[in-house]
This record gives sequence, structure tokens and C-alpha cells, in this order.
Amino acid sequence: MTTDKERTTSLDDMFGDFAELVLENVTIELDELRLALRPMVQQIAKAAARPALEMPKSLIPASFTPPLGEYTQVIQEITLGAKKGQGGTRSKTVTIGGHTAPAWDLFQAPPKHPPIIAADVFDMPISLAKMVKMHYKEVLDDPAEWAKLVVDKFGADVVTLHLISTDRQLGDTSPKDAAKTIEEVLQAVKVPILIGSAGDPEKDGPVLAKAAEVCEGERTLLCSATVDVYEEIAEAAKKHDQVVLSWTSIDINQQKELNRRLFEWLTPEQIVIDPTTAALGYGLEYAFTIMQRMRLAGLLGDEELRFPISSGTTNAWAAREAWMNNPELGPRELRGPIWESVTALALLLAGNDLFMMMHPAAIKTVHDLVDWMRERQSIKPEDYPDWTTLSIPEGT
Amino acid sequence: MSFEDIPVDIGVVYEGERVRGKDMFVELGGPKMEQKFELAIARDMGDIEDEKVTIIGPDLKDMEEGSYHPLGIVVEVAGKEIEPDLEGVIERRIHEYVNFVEGMMHLNQRYDIWLRLSKKSFEKGFNSFDFLGKVLMRLFKSEMNIIERIQVTFITDPEVVAERYDDAINRYNQRDERARGLSDTEVDTFYGCSLCQSFAPTHVCTITPQRYANCGAISWFDGRAAARVDPKGPLYAIPKGETIDEFRGEYVGVNQAYTEKSLGKVNSVALYSAFEKPHTSCGCFEAIAFVIPEVDGLGIVHRDFKGDTVNGLPFSSMADSTAGGRQVPGFHGISIEYMRSPKFLQVDDGWNRIVWVPQSVMERIVDFIPEDVRDRIATENDAMNIGDLKEFLKQKSHPVVNRWVELEEEAEAAVLAADAGTDYIAVPGEMTAMVGGVGGGLEIIFKNAKIYAEKVIIRRTGKGDKKK
Amino acid sequence: MAKLPGPLEIYPLLPGTNCQVCGEANCMAFATKMAEHTVKLKTCTPLFDEAKYAKKLEKLKNLVRPPIREVVIGTGEKAVSVGGKLVLYRHDLRWSNPTAFFLDAPDTLDAEGLAARVKSIEEWTYVYIGTNLHLDGIALRGVSQDPKTFAAAAKKLTKLTDWPIILCSLDPKMLAAAAKAIADKRPLLYAATLETWAEVGELAAKHNLPLVACAPGSLNNLASLVGTLRAIGVEDIVLDPGTTSRTGLGNTVDDFTQLRRSSIIEDNELLGYPILGAPITVWADYKKDEAPELTKWDEVLTASAQIVRYTDILVLHSVDMWTNLPLTFLRSNLYTDPVKPVAVEPGLMEFGEVDSESPVMYTTNFALTYFTVESDIKQAGVNAYLLVVDTEGMSVQSAVAGRKLTADGVAEALEEYKVAEKVNHKILISPGMAARISGETEEVSGWTVKVGPRDSSGIPKFLQEGKWKEE
Repeated sequence: MTTDKERTTSLDDMFGDFAELVLENVTIELDELRLALRPMVQQIAKAAARPALEMPKSLIPASFTPPLGEYTQVIQEITLGAKKGQGGTRSKTVTIGGHTAPAWDLFQAPPKHPPIIAADVFDMPISLAKMVKMHYKEVLDDPAEWAKLVVDKFGADVVTLHLISTDRQLGDTSPKDAAKTIEEVLQAVKVPILIGSAGDPEKDGPVLAKAAEVCEGERTLLCSATVDVYEEIAEAAKKHDQVVLSWTSIDINQQKELNRRLFEWLTPEQIVIDPTTAALGYGLEYAFTIMQRMRLAGLLGDEELRFPISSGTTNAWAAREAWMNNPELGPRELRGPIWESVTALALLLAGNDLFMMMHPAAIKTVHDLVDWMRERQSIKPEDYPDWTTLSIPEGT
Repeated sequence: MSFEDIPVDIGVVYEGERVRGKDMFVELGGPKMEQKFELAIARDMGDIEDEKVTIIGPDLKDMEEGSYHPLGIVVEVAGKEIEPDLEGVIERRIHEYVNFVEGMMHLNQRYDIWLRLSKKSFEKGFNSFDFLGKVLMRLFKSEMNIIERIQVTFITDPEVVAERYDDAINRYNQRDERARGLSDTEVDTFYGCSLCQSFAPTHVCTITPQRYANCGAISWFDGRAAARVDPKGPLYAIPKGETIDEFRGEYVGVNQAYTEKSLGKVNSVALYSAFEKPHTSCGCFEAIAFVIPEVDGLGIVHRDFKGDTVNGLPFSSMADSTAGGRQVPGFHGISIEYMRSPKFLQVDDGWNRIVWVPQSVMERIVDFIPEDVRDRIATENDAMNIGDLKEFLKQKSHPVVNRWVELEEEAEAAVLAADAGTDYIAVPGEMTAMVGGVGGGLEIIFKNAKIYAEKVIIRRTGKGDKKK
Repeated sequence: MAKLPGPLEIYPLLPGTNCQVCGEANCMAFATKMAEHTVKLKTCTPLFDEAKYAKKLEKLKNLVRPPIREVVIGTGEKAVSVGGKLVLYRHDLRWSNPTAFFLDAPDTLDAEGLAARVKSIEEWTYVYIGTNLHLDGIALRGVSQDPKTFAAAAKKLTKLTDWPIILCSLDPKMLAAAAKAIADKRPLLYAATLETWAEVGELAAKHNLPLVACAPGSLNNLASLVGTLRAIGVEDIVLDPGTTSRTGLGNTVDDFTQLRRSSIIEDNELLGYPILGAPITVWADYKKDEAPELTKWDEVLTASAQIVRYTDILVLHSVDMWTNLPLTFLRSNLYTDPVKPVAVEPGLMEFGEVDSESPVMYTTNFALTYFTVESDIKQAGVNAYLLVVDTEGMSVQSAVAGRKLTADGVAEALEEYKVAEKVNHKILISPGMAARISGETEEVSGWTVKVGPRDSSGIPKFLQEGKWKEE
């Protein structure tokens, strides 16, 4: 038998009318034969070659080194509230910030001060999603009782009193009259108080300035200064030693710019930042990413972003999926608060320190999360359950 | 700042309003007038009577309804921080501020201005340039705190307009020459802009006298003015620092700014190269300089160019590679004005490296392309694929062709190296079909072998059913 | 830190023939898409098929290999790719391959039960910004602890669905039986442990199946396990460092973060593999007769934390609407490209009971803008039309500055959505921030433009005042 290389015989000659030639008991002697194998054959060769890999006799030990980062700046500590000896009338103060590591990178360092929750109180009845309203029905027209409810029953760490009635469209309450409500709330509860203005550009300045005056000594958070309205608020904060919430619109450069301007009046101990929170499904990722970037920048040396962060988490209820009455989407009693909770959780992991919230179940959830995650627990490998064999009741 | 004494409303809301011919009380400047101008002039403090409005020629109330008049607007300013370099920046705001007046329309700039006042506003009482002057002065002072003293003159007397017209044109020309003539070496400070950094965290736009901002909207002068007016704002000073390499545009100060602002992600930038440590872009560049490796050159495409460019990719596709604040060699965001700069991509060989430019961009900058390259650069009318481009460049002897000789030599060497490695001999015809695949593979060589087989089946493929 | 190559680094390693087999105009175009990670290397078939490119291919594979390798589970259209992550923080580029949700099914279900379970998983859906949110796969759990039952259930499963499957058992015999039965469907094998690595590793290598390396509670153990499996020849690995919830949630978040950070920032390629999280473990504490809602609540929290912290595959139990809505939303949000703004469908929206006298407003199709305006209009309780103009997802202010919102664009939108046919007036209310183009818009469209408030919160007052109707 010769190869095609040595004789040029046409295949037709060889085969004639036949499709196949079968030779039996063949011995082929060759000086040289080259076979070129294409990829397909190569695969088979490879597969056949596998057993040739040596099987390790035992586990090959390897180690893991925690990927520690280098952070050059500590996040500012901000204290809200003041006790009797400190010039105020609160029974406790709260401190946020102080971190030396990105949020919840426990391997690096746990958060210095755990995040806290500020429950929203309004100085007039407002329209609320049904699932929220049901918890506040009785107190809607009494801010003092409202404040008591959120502190005593829902466990809020601090209270935000939103003076929305000062909006020219909603009653145009004067700063002086609004101040009366502040005083009522200061009497009713002894936790630190935050004061929110209505978001009316003509009123916010005077209202917060008056609030700063009325709360002198109490170390309150004036919510908020914005790029359009900040001078009067900053001046009042300086005069009466208050803290200012520097609030911008999902724009990291705007945040830096506003803080730069505030530095003219305020010390670093007087600023908390809020990049605006959008609901899960309606822009949450913007808030998440900006918070993450701001926290990292602060830890890496940016002086304009080294502050604790605040979130209007109640905004989660703007998502229609949170409140709409559609049984196909499951019970609203669960859907609503889980919406607020997941919004909060995402931001908690991004570095948020102060959560402004409303639904009691969500408030409890965030408190639980903070407690749970504060430190690594010692959990042995054998304590991890084998979920592959778990019997979970049907219908759940 | 209040406008209570002005008979009409003032606000941003009127910015875009148009006044139609049938609704207008009078037209000032515009296509029917040969000469019109608006000018901002920096003066010494003593030369200005603060808040004075002068009217030379008929006032609005002296004009007939439906009439047309020439117009010259002169805004004179003084202040500690005011200098002639800032005149252009100030002048551009006249357009903005006039438009804030309810019932007033201002189009264009410099010697092209076109204004109209609506009948409605005139009837409301806006019947004097005095009002317009007041509005302008208040807005200028409130928005630009470096203006300490200001006076405004409105000229409607045709003779006086004619007199002052040439002076105005001269001033514009001088300004442009100065702007284009100012070199990076003559200044100590560049300006950084963070306006579009929100979505590109590692981007720092460095604006120098010879390198306009990527967005095409901000010059070094604008940066200077803005940083002075608002040092806490989005435009900030970048002290140049020591010059590392003037030709490449590498400065210690710039590198420092980058390192700080990008949190260490970018720390060294050569301002005048698209390949080596290029300046970054966010997402709002006017145009992209993109590499065409087949000809070792750069093509230019601007945002408004519709469809695919010569390399088969449209602006939007290449924008993805260019944006995001990364240093991507070969994909470089630029402004049209930067293309007029004598330093335009000089590290990469400047215009000698540019091989393709859209026609409409060419028209805007042709005077700034060195004469000896001008006609050798292709537009979309000359080439719309790499093959044609290569032909065109060869035919026109574009300088970039010289680079090709080197390239080809390198390529050949590479091929030779590759050939030496493989000793591939194809197995003929039908046997190939049996084994399948298209190229690539292994060789097994039997030398001095004895193969014993119980059965050897040689089968022909593709010939259908035949006898066995 | 892992650096992502640019087009100029990739281009020289491509054939350079501009053959267009990949579907791009030329090799440079392909290189730019590779640099953006919007196209896969295997699309360039000549690279893989021709021997002369072998060296280049190897170099290229290494150059573009993501720090977290990509693993494919399942076959055909429904196959899911997990991992393939390029960056730690989404703001550094974007996150690719959204977390895959695998819902469990115990192998103890009877035929009807299994069919029902599969159906409920496959049919879970919700429409969100024009896409159908959905789950991704089925995790078959070896509750029976009997290899035959497990294998039979696996086989049944493949007849019921073509969705990707995870075979879940820590018993090598169970896995062997089931893998043998359905290997051609490329299931993910869960899992090999410190005790079973040899048997299960060989099994995975033999069938060429992806395999989870499970070493709970110790990253050192996990590293050892992975290294050993690689030595056996297992290539497609998924990591399970163990999921604990509630008081253990901090450990989970911390472990997952360390793993991901180590691979991407410290270039630790040994552990550069996708991570599996199992919120289903919350059910280990569930006691009969307890309200399952509480356990489901914790499952959602655990899953949310894991989606945020680098998890590529989740094993979940609850298939309820209220539990999976927040999870699918969260996943969708975090996996959007941060550089590309989120847009909604342009068009003409109606609010309340509109008629031919109703006001017509317009806005842009940036999701955030649209939803804010929509919410303000709804709160005002007015009857109005809202024309959503396509500005490629930019907000009003940006779109005006960036020349994406133009008079022409607005005029075109008015035409396209036949707004003139809906109302008997021709008054268009523009957002305050678009004042600049109002005059031009009037000219181009022929409509009268009234400039509205700069912030949509002013809409109720603006409409109430009624001045917009005046000529």
C-alpha cells in the first residue's frame, strides 16, 4: 500500500464503481507517514490525555490574605443633640461617622459609629400611603404625640420635624409660629431633634434660621441647605452652633461645591451630606453609586466629601410598587415596608449613616441589620446548615 | 436685587421667547441694518460713572411702531479683578440677559446682533433703553461680583453707530488674535473644569490657552473669569507648576490635579497627544480623534456627523471608547477650537497624522491646517472605506504614507517568524473532508513504522450509494 | 489592580484582515467593542480556527480575561452566564452578567408537584421599564438523600424545562447519579467540599461540568479547595464561602467582599471565580406553624445584601411576587450601565380623564425626570397629556445643553404621537429648563409654547392658575 504522496493514482482508479475498499490483515511498512489532525481530532486527543494529569493525594493547602486597603482620612464624627451639662435639654446625644474603612468592610474595620434612624414627623396632616398611614392615623394632627409615638413605640433614635406648613402653598405658617411647634416637640421627646423646612425657596432660609435660634444649645440638624438657598441657613448655624444638612441633587460635583461654600461659615463638625435618595426601581442606583463614591473619596483624602451621609429613605414610597393596591403583587402590608427596607439596605451598604424613615417594620429592620452586621461572629464551618437537604414545608 | 421698577417681568423663563414681525414694536440691528454691534470694555475705576445709562440717538419712545434702527450696545466695566482678557466673557452675557426681559428678543452676538421689542411690552411701559440698561447692570453686578462699577450706552444714531463700528471690529479682531496668540508658556495658571465629571469620576478637563475644553464651550479666558467670579464653583485654577515637557504638554501641576481629583486613577497626562498618556474625556466632547491603524493615522469625526465614518464606525460607537474619564490611546475627545491650535496633537505629528475629516468640520477650520497638508486630507466625499482611503492618501502623497514603509517591514518580519514555526502540510482532497474542520491542528509523524491492522477500510465520501 | 486593555492593545493581536466574519466593519471596530466588553472574543472565529493565530489567541485570551471568570450554566437559549466581572465598583465601568436567581425544588416532589413548581418559577414575571423581569434557573435539592430519586427527579426536570439547573447535594454518590443522567444539559454541580473534592472533582472534570467549591467559614479552606480542584483539571468553578443570615449576615457580607476585592484589586487570580450565595439557608431556622412571612422577609434581606455585595448566583426559596419584586428591581438597578442614563419609552401619556381641552405638557425620557414629573402630575390630580420626548435618556437641563432636546425634536414628537388630533388647542407647555428653545420650538412646530415651572413640583400651581390658556 502506498500513500497518496508517492503515487498519483486517482481515487476513481482505485475505487472504480465501489464506494469502499476493505483490506484485511494488512501490514503497512513505512519510512514516513504524516497525518495532519484538525481541531476536532485534537479535542479527542486532549480528552484522552486527561487521565495523564496527576491526581493530588491530598488537599493542596493555600492561604488567603485579607485584601486590606489604604485609607488616609477618617470620616468626620458628627454629634447631634446636647444634654443638660452641654447646654441642651436632651437626655441623650447621638454620634455618627468616624469611620476608617468603607462601609461594612469588617475585615478592614467595623463602622466606628453605627448608623441611626430618624423618624419623620410632620407639623400638619399629610397624605400618606395607606400602609404607612395606618400606623399614624391617631397622631396626624399632633406633632408632639407623633414624635412620642415614633420614639416610644417605633424606636426611632432621633426625630425629624418637617415644618411643611411653612410652605406658601400649604398654609404659609410664619417662622415664628413654626417655632412654637418646635418647642412642643422639644418638650414631648428627649431625643435629638432634626428640623426640616418645606422646600419653599422663599421660606426655607427664614424658617431654618428661626429654628436655629429656637434650638440654640440643642445641636440640631437643619435640613437643608441647597445650592440655591444656603447663606441664611449657614449664618444661622454658625451663630447658634447647629449642624447643617448639605443637600444636593445626585451630582457629586454639586455636593463638593455646596460644601466648599458652606466652609465659609461652618466647621467640619457641622456638616452632614445628602445626595438625594431615589426609590428602589426609580433611581436608587444613582443614590447608591454616589454615596459609595463619596464615602471612598472621603476615606482617600477628599476634604469636601469626608462627612457622614444622610438619606431620605421614606422616598422609597414614591415607587408605585410599594403602595399600589394590586393583590397580584402580593400583600401591601409586606410589599410596602420591604420596599423601604431594601432601599435602606442598599444604601446602608454604600455607607449611609442617617436614615429618615417612616414605616415601623422598616425601621425595626434597619435597626436589626445594623445590630446583626456590626461585627463578625465566630461561626464554625459545621454551624453552616446544609441547605441541600432542608425540608421546607410545601406551600411556603 | 429687584426689578419692581421695571414695567415688564424679568426671568430665565423668557430666555427662548421669539418676537414675531407682526408683534414687534421695533427691530434693532438685524439683517436690515448693515452696521450693528455690542461691545464690553474694561476700564479703570475712575473712568466709569457707576450705574449710568447713556442713550445716543432716539430712545424707544421716540421710535415709530414697526420701524428698524441700527444699534450699538457698549457695556463698560471696572473692578479690581477686571481685565481686558475678560471682555469676551462679559460680552457674551449681554445676549443672555437681554433675553431675560419679557418681550425682548436678542439673537447672535458681536457684529451680528438682532433685537426686537414686542408691542405688548412697549404698551406695558417698557419704552426706554433706560429700563434695559438697569436690567443689564443689575444682572451683571449680581452674577459677576468682580464687576464693581458698570455703565451702559445704547447708540441708535446712525452716524454715531457708523463711527464706532470700525472700532468695535478692531477690538474683536485684536481679541481673537490675542486669544489665539497666547501660548501656554506665557501663563502660570491653567483652569480645570468639573462640570461634566459627575459621570466620569476620573476625568479632569484641563483648559490652557492653546487647549480648549473638550466640550467646545470654555476657553482659558472663560475659565479665568469663572474661577475669579466664583472660586468655589466648578471651574478652578490649576497652577501649572514646573514644566516637565513643554512639547508634550506635561506639567507637574496638571499631573497633581489629576492625581488628586481622580483619586489616583490617572496621574500623568500629556496634553498634546492622542496616543501617549492622552488627556481624558467625559462624555460631552465635540469631536473624536480616532486611530486608523491600517494607515497609521488619525481620523476626526464630530458629534453631528450622521452615519458611519471611514472606518465603518459611527460617532456614537467610538464615543463609548472615548468617554468615561479613561486614558484610551487612539480614542481622544477634542473640541473643534482645539483643532485650530498650533499645538494640535503635536506630539503625534499634528496635521501630518490626520487623514480624514468630515467636510463640514473642514470648512470651519481649513485656514488653520498647514497649506502643504490641506488638500491631502480626505473627507467623506473622497473616501468612505479603508481601501479607498489608502488609495487617496497614496495618490495625494499624504505625509502619513512615509510611516507605512516602516509598518510593512515590521509586518513582514512578523510573518517570517510565524512561518518558521509551523511545518504545516495539507493532506489532499477528500481525506481532508473526512477529518473535518477548517485549518489549524496537529501533525503526527510516523517514522520507520510497521502498522498491522486486522482491517483497513478506505471509504470514499460524497459519492452517494454505490456497490460495496 | 486588574487593568482593562484598550483597543490599541487588543488590535495587534487580532488577525488584521478585516474579514468581517465577526459582523464588524473591520478589526479595529472589533477591537473597540472588545475594549468596551460589548462583544465576546469567540465571535472572531478565524482566531480560533486558524493555527497561525494560536499564539495571538493565547495572548489575547490572557489580555481580556476578566478578573472574575465567566461560567456558563445550562445550554441553548436559556443558558445563563455568571461572573465575568471586570470591576469591583460599578462606577468604575459597569457590572455585567446580572446575578442569576435559581429557585429551589426538592427532589421529593411528585410529578405533579414538580411540574407545578417549575411552572411557578418559569412564569414569574413583571414588566419594568419595558423589560420582562424574570427568574433564571432551578436548583434541584437532594432532600431525599437517595441517588436514584435524585437522578430521576433531575431527568424529570429536564423534560419539564430547558432552564439551567443546579444539582444540589453534598453527597458525591447523589451528584454522580444525577450528573450522569443529565450531563448534556450542563448543570452546575453543587458541591465539592474539603472531604469530597477528589470524587466530585473527578466527576466534574469527566463530564466537563461547572462545579461549586464549598468551604464555609474559612477563606483559607476555600483557597485550598479551589487550588486542588484546578489541579484535577476542573476549570469552571463557582465559589461558595457559606451564607449565614441575621446575626451572621455581617460575616457573609464581609467574606464575599474580601473574595471579590482580593481578585480584582489584589489580582488574586486563584479565587477569580463567580460567587454563589444561598439566602435559602434562612429556612434552616424555620419552625413549622411559624408565619413563613417572617422567614421570607429575612430571605429577601439576605438576598438583597448579597446582590449588592458581589454575588453572581443566588439560591432562593420563595417564589412570591412580593419577595421577588424588590430583588429583581434591585438587580436590574445595580446592573444598569452607570454611564448610560436610564430611559423610558417616549410617547404620549394621559393622566386622569383627558379631553380635547386638556393641557399638553412635555418632558424628556430620562427615567428619573419622567417619574418625577409623572408623580407630580398624579399628585396634582389633574387631567393632562404628557408628551415624552426622546433625548436618549438625558434630563431636560442636560439635554438642552447637550443639544439633544431641540425644537426639531419636540416638533417631531408632536407629529409622531399625533398630539394635534387629541386636543382642540395648540398650546404646548414646556419645562422651565427648556425656556431657551421655546421660541424656536414655536417656529418649527407651529404650536404656541408656554414656558412652565422649572421644577415639576410647580406643575399643580401652574395649571391651576390657568394662565397657560391665555393667548
